[in-house]
Amino acid sequence: MRLIKKLILPFTSHKYLLYQLTQREIKARYKQSFIGYAWVMLNPLAQMMVYTFVFSVVFRFPTGGIPYPVFLFAALLPWTTLQVTLNTATQSLVSNAILLKKVWFPREIIPYSVVISKMIDFVFSSFVFFGLMLFYQVPLSKTTLLFIPLFLIQVVLMTGMSFFLSTFNLFYRDIQYLTNLLLMVWMYMTPVVYPMSLVPDRFIFIYKLNPMVGLIEGYRAALFSLPFEPSLIFQSLFVSIFIFITGYFTFKKSEKVFADIV
Amino acid sequence: MTNLKPRIEFKHVAKEFFLQDDKTFKELIPSLIAGKAWAKKHIVFNDLSFTVKTGESIGIVGDNGAGKSTIMKLIAGVTYPTTGSIKAVGKIAPLIELGAGFHYELSGYENIFLNAAILGMHKSEIDIVLQDIIDFSEITEFLHTPIKRYSTGMLMRLAFSIAIHAPADIYLIDEVLAVGDRKFQKKCLKRLKEFKNHKDKIIVFISHSQKDVKEFCDRAILLDNGKMVLDGTPADVFEKYNSL
Repeated sequence: MRLIKKLILPFTSHKYLLYQLTQREIKARYKQSFIGYAWVMLNPLAQMMVYTFVFSVVFRFPTGGIPYPVFLFAALLPWTTLQVTLNTATQSLVSNAILLKKVWFPREIIPYSVVISKMIDFVFSSFVFFGLMLFYQVPLSKTTLLFIPLFLIQVVLMTGMSFFLSTFNLFYRDIQYLTNLLLMVWMYMTPVVYPMSLVPDRFIFIYKLNPMVGLIEGYRAALFSLPFEPSLIFQSLFVSIFIFITGYFTFKKSEKVFADIV
Repeated sequence: MTNLKPRIEFKHVAKEFFLQDDKTFKELIPSLIAGKAWAKKHIVFNDLSFTVKTGESIGIVGDNGAGKSTIMKLIAGVTYPTTGSIKAVGKIAPLIELGAGFHYELSGYENIFLNAAILGMHKSEIDIVLQDIIDFSEITEFLHTPIKRYSTGMLMRLAFSIAIHAPADIYLIDEVLAVGDRKFQKKCLKRLKEFKNHKDKIIVFISHSQKDVKEFCDRAILLDNGKMVLDGTPADVFEKYNSL
């Protein structure tokens, strides 16, 4: 009971702080530059054009009849969200050092505000995706709605990883560079730019241990009404919950020394 | 607000820090090979006991590094004692360093809400004191300007105004009065004296200014070399401090 109370503290007694910090994260972005918030959409759009040229004009990956830009975007958007969230969250505690030293509040509010603000960015950038679906006349089906629960699994995963990365970065600043490296490797270990059908059978078992594989495949299945692989999705769910729980306890345990070491 | 009477109690508090020399792998790996520990221990104080009762305003005096700010952090609950226990009853408002918890791209108005939320206030609580904060800080005409265009004095006034309008029982004031012009400093001290006269709050005050401490506090603690040397009137404490 006490644990549950502690767990929901950021959403009850401290919800206004969570709201303010999330708002700061979003506002800061669009106030800083000339086109501001449009970057949320321009970035993935530019990436999409480059990847489309490389992987559908040069390499010509088989996508099962789905136009490559749509096939790519269905995975690239959630992937970009993961990337931006983890990069920002890694630095979140360090950049709020002065607050950690002065005021008490549940520390997890800091990584939470990063995750929530990037979720909001994701919602805006997905309008571009639906525009693209219309442009290529890819029909939407009822299964499209399954995208939402799948994305929530990703949110759990991102939050769990943010706990670890933000804590470790407080002790050693190299973690932020390591995060970059990890994300680059991880992206190519996930069927973002290519279809999973290209992965050789003898690697597939190890390949599927990556929790993002099940999610990315799930997104495509939901959007293009392809068959689901439920066992793979459940595996992603369990891994995500596991990372969230271990991350949470690591974070809460280290929290007591945050102000001393920052 | 709580009905409990605010109170601070330190019982045999010892605080050790781990001073981490290596913040990057580049430094960490050679020192691990050389067999050094990942961090060094640093003792701030080893046996500190004192009690602050409702209505008291207490000054903490000592050299840099004597542990004044550590006491503030312990009261605020952002750091924990190594041994001993600390009780702080009541809602705490720390006067945060200039501009911390501010975002420079946001306007003064937006920053009031951000900073007040950091101090633990809710929207409804902020709305009640919003006008008082704006009036006290004297920034009305620049209210909707991004604070990156503010002068240091304006920022300080804004930060201070938010903090003293936070409904709290214990106020932690750490060297913040050093900035800002004399006129505003006087206004702040006046406001703090009002708190003091109500006799229902606690004010913990750190300042290098003898005059401010003497004028404002009715009790002071002198720290030296990890020990409390004296707990008495500000006049006695400064006499001792100057003879150390």
